[in-house]
Amino acid sequence: MPVDERELKSMLGGEDCKIMAGGTDLLVRIRSGRLSPSRIVSLARMKGMDGILDLGEEVSIGSRVTMSELLKCELIAASCPILPMVVREIGSPQIRNRATLAGNLVNASPAGDSIMALYLSNATVVISGVNGERREKVSSFIKGPGRTTLSRDEYVGAILLEKTPGYFPQFYKVGQRSAMAIAVASVGSLISGQEIRMAFGSVAPTVAVPEKACEYFEKAGEKFDDGEFARLAMLAISPIDDVRASAWYRSTVVKNLVQRTLNVWRKKG
Amino acid sequence: MKIDFKVNGRDYSLEVREDMRLLDFLREELKLTGTKEGCGEGECGACTVIIDGKAVNSCLVLVPEIDGREVITVEGLERDGRLHPLQESFIEKGAVQCGFCTPGMLMSAKALLDGNADPSDEEIMEAIEGNLCRCTGYYKIVQAIRDAAGKLRNGKA
Repeated sequence: MPVDERELKSMLGGEDCKIMAGGTDLLVRIRSGRLSPSRIVSLARMKGMDGILDLGEEVSIGSRVTMSELLKCELIAASCPILPMVVREIGSPQIRNRATLAGNLVNASPAGDSIMALYLSNATVVISGVNGERREKVSSFIKGPGRTTLSRDEYVGAILLEKTPGYFPQFYKVGQRSAMAIAVASVGSLISGQEIRMAFGSVAPTVAVPEKACEYFEKAGEKFDDGEFARLAMLAISPIDDVRASAWYRSTVVKNLVQRTLNVWRKKG
Repeated sequence: MKIDFKVNGRDYSLEVREDMRLLDFLREELKLTGTKEGCGEGECGACTVIIDGKAVNSCLVLVPEIDGREVITVEGLERDGRLHPLQESFIEKGAVQCGFCTPGMLMSAKALLDGNADPSDEEIMEAIEGNLCRCTGYYKIVQAIRDAAGKLRNGKA
């Protein structure tokens, strides 16, 4: 249990070690035998990495900030409203009291809903290591399910989210139980006058961004057609059949949620 | 490693195993077997305890992490042989059937009431959304928590 970043750096690398923030995912995977690191480095006693900072255009969220703390933060509510909308749907109070945004990010689950909020907020990951600091956009940081560009001797110190107060945020998740449910499919979006940002969870190897549909939204003008938007949006997904739902069901859910997103936005406007 | 912590108001300074879960430590080392293990992966909430005022799943906490912190378990609810208003209300309202989820339910409810003296039913349901009960259908549990909140507000505690 390192107490500062210098000590943390000295503990990384070499043997197979895992950094633990809240442990809500890591400890489950270790116990089920899916993971057996020779050492766990817990951030529980670290000084720092626990702040939510206003950087002007961006908000910085330290790696030890829990989901519960995010939900209570006025700065986040005012400047990144999509984030609490998503975080509220994650886990249970017990899980949110421990789980962190950075932990959810490095696990890189295709169903990691908080990751969707990061895509929509054009987030930057601040990565530190023995060789200094580097920054990377969340979309390139995540390589695939469970895979990121993070190397063994590196850690995520903070995540920077672009402020998006002028956008209309929406998040819809379809799951099997209201608490603790991993999504069958989820759709998040931010819409301002001419721009739409949209992302899908649980329907591709990583969070999926329907770029063609977003472009169409911005260029179509008067000719805009909901059906065409939905058709382009569906090109971004590649759902699978699994224990939670069939690919067919997932596609249908996404299509309906995309339509709902447009409807709700119009009604509000 | 050696850690200092508080459980149910009592100070401890003990040598602990670094890879032990808080749940096992409470049950096997401190013999506080009120805290139950259900799923062991944070889904069911039976092992819920309060650490520094926050409800957490003790199956997902490693013992070294409680260094310098205060833990409250279901055994810490009664005062001088008198049940906590939450415990009384659970009994009076029939919120206990098989009883396995009850310790966890009580701890989630206590964490809620400590920060919100007059919660709505919606807030109560949100506070216990991480606690599964297979017997009661939750209705009587929500009633009991609402009832206990009233007792606490009226100073009948």
